[in-house]
Amino acid sequence: MMTGGHEMPSDQESLAGQGPGPGDVDLGRVWLGVAAQVWRRRPGLAERAAGRLLRSPGLARALVTTPSLLAGWLIATAVVLLAGLFATLGTGTPYVPLLAPAVAGAGIAYAYGPGIDPAWELSRSMAVSDRMVLLARALAVFALNAAMGLAATAASGAAAAVTFGWLVPMTAVCALALAAATLARSANVGVIVGLAGWAIVVLAGQSASGRLTAVITDTALVLPYLGFAAVCAAIAWAATRIPRGTS
Amino acid sequence: MNDDELIAAVAAGDDAGLRELFSRHAPWLAARLRAVLPAAEVEDVLQETFLAVWRGAGGYRPGGSGSAGGWVWGIARRQAALFLRRRGPAELLLPAIDAGGRQVADPAEAAVLRAELAEAVSALGPAGSPSREAWRLVYVEDRPVAEVAELMGVPVGTVKSRAHRARKQLRAALRRREPTPDGGGR
Amino acid sequence: MNVEISDLTRRFGRTRAVDGVSLQAGAGVFGLLGPNGAGKTTLLRMMATVIPPSSGRLRLLGRDPGSYGPRKEIRRRAGYLPQNLGYYPGFTVAEFVEYFALLKDMPPRQVPRAVAAAVEQVGLGDKARARLRTLSGGMLRRAGIAQAIVNQPELLMLDEPTAGLDPEQRVAFRALLRGLGERSTVIVSTHLVEDVGAACSEVALMDAGKIVFRGTPEELTARGERTGAAGDAPLERGYSAALAAARSAAAVRS
Repeated sequence: MMTGGHEMPSDQESLAGQGPGPGDVDLGRVWLGVAAQVWRRRPGLAERAAGRLLRSPGLARALVTTPSLLAGWLIATAVVLLAGLFATLGTGTPYVPLLAPAVAGAGIAYAYGPGIDPAWELSRSMAVSDRMVLLARALAVFALNAAMGLAATAASGAAAAVTFGWLVPMTAVCALALAAATLARSANVGVIVGLAGWAIVVLAGQSASGRLTAVITDTALVLPYLGFAAVCAAIAWAATRIPRGTS
Repeated sequence: MNDDELIAAVAAGDDAGLRELFSRHAPWLAARLRAVLPAAEVEDVLQETFLAVWRGAGGYRPGGSGSAGGWVWGIARRQAALFLRRRGPAELLLPAIDAGGRQVADPAEAAVLRAELAEAVSALGPAGSPSREAWRLVYVEDRPVAEVAELMGVPVGTVKSRAHRARKQLRAALRRREPTPDGGGR
Repeated sequence: MNVEISDLTRRFGRTRAVDGVSLQAGAGVFGLLGPNGAGKTTLLRMMATVIPPSSGRLRLLGRDPGSYGPRKEIRRRAGYLPQNLGYYPGFTVAEFVEYFALLKDMPPRQVPRAVAAAVEQVGLGDKARARLRTLSGGMLRRAGIAQAIVNQPELLMLDEPTAGLDPEQRVAFRALLRGLGERSTVIVSTHLVEDVGAACSEVALMDAGKIVFRGTPEELTARGERTGAAGDAPLERGYSAALAAARSAAAVRS
């Protein structure tokens, strides 16, 4: 009985590398079929759900690639809020409602735009428009930050007024950060303006009434906050129009 | 990189290695499959084959020259059989054959094995050469050895030894293509 | 006609980057030549619907990009490679091309195969899963070309596509252009004259926002003959001659 092919010429080796195969078999097409499956990306559950909800797989993909929705950013946000929570539990001062708007504002500024999107010019030529992407991302970042903030404040056992009261100023801070980022076309400018604006407001409130949380619990401020947010949102909207004058 | 290294790379997730394997092996695989299937189906089977290579590269065990080719051919043959089976038994009017001593009950696999057999037979030599003729007259046409000796104009002993040698060569050639249970070639 | 432009103007402040350009293009490869600052990029950006014109008429793929709906439809069927294309460093080539395929509203089922085809067409088949940060400038440019062609666009705008490509890659690129030009309108803007000569069926030469020459590469070459114009190659000489003629005519007028 023959024990193996060592003494015989290996037909496989002599055939391999011989030109294209049979003339009517399109090997290029075959490879594309293989490559399509090997190279494809399979979207995660969140992305598939978002795609169905928004009825746009492209928008869903843009959403899950938001810089401020990536794992690292979310973890950092959670860490900040947790630190605030522990500080609150230790000292009694509700830090979380003070921190949450700042963190959310930063997240909004990093949602989109020329400051952080290297392919900005190309994005402006897409069927899923950059404005849609910005809107979806900003809303998602806001909602996520709100949820995380609410969880942290509830855990810190603060009064109801404080637990929810900061959502309104948070809206204003986010709108401010967004307006600054889109006007200046820089995410960093958006963050700085948002944080600075909020810090100024908090400190002004403290010097006026002696309490740090004055700006959160004072119901008279609700309308001004919302009005301010609306103005900022309009500025952001205008800034993302297809440009007329500049470049 | 030789084939064994390429397959190991593919097992580690190197898709460029798969591309290289494809360029090396797809042509001859296509030629062999084309003997049994129409062109469009060869394309489908070849695509499934290389996807199976991509998924199953981890199961390959290197084993000497030609083993990579044997392994890939084994995958291609299974994919072709799967394909033919899916098409339904009505498509298959091919009788089962005894190839290299194995009984093959599955007509689908039989069809593919026939291609292997035809190629192994051609390895005996060109049509009309002593080994091929001996094989043809003794085993395919099933003539008595004495008659074959007269037809070929050689002694009976020569006919017997030629036929025996041809059968050994064929069995060896077919065994070489058959993958071992763990996926490697022999 | 995929592109119908008449008297198109685009102002930035008081400068006219594009000044009264008229153009029509059907299928084929169309070269846009000219020195830096001639307005080629601005013209391409208007055709990519990134910026609107200041005045004039622009119709792309039979539609008016001034309204939202038609503009979206144009964008689905167009491909654009900007002069400066940023990259997402953490993306692989396939992910990068796929991202923009999705943003162009391609049906998700078609996307994997389209991405594979585009990546292979630009010769990045063995780099498909390599991260963009590991690629050379020429490869990045080719990845940019791949995203532009992934949706088999009817209208393709390429701004300096051969930047960073070596001579062999340029040959392959010109072959790709010729193939694309059979079904679509391909507009290639470049300041490398010889680059496009072989692939284009028609060229336009821009200077200071205006089109100063329009015709076949052979006609442009003819302009340079017997004039002693500057240039090492026939098309270059034609380019120099046409440019010089246009500038002296403009000087005479003003």
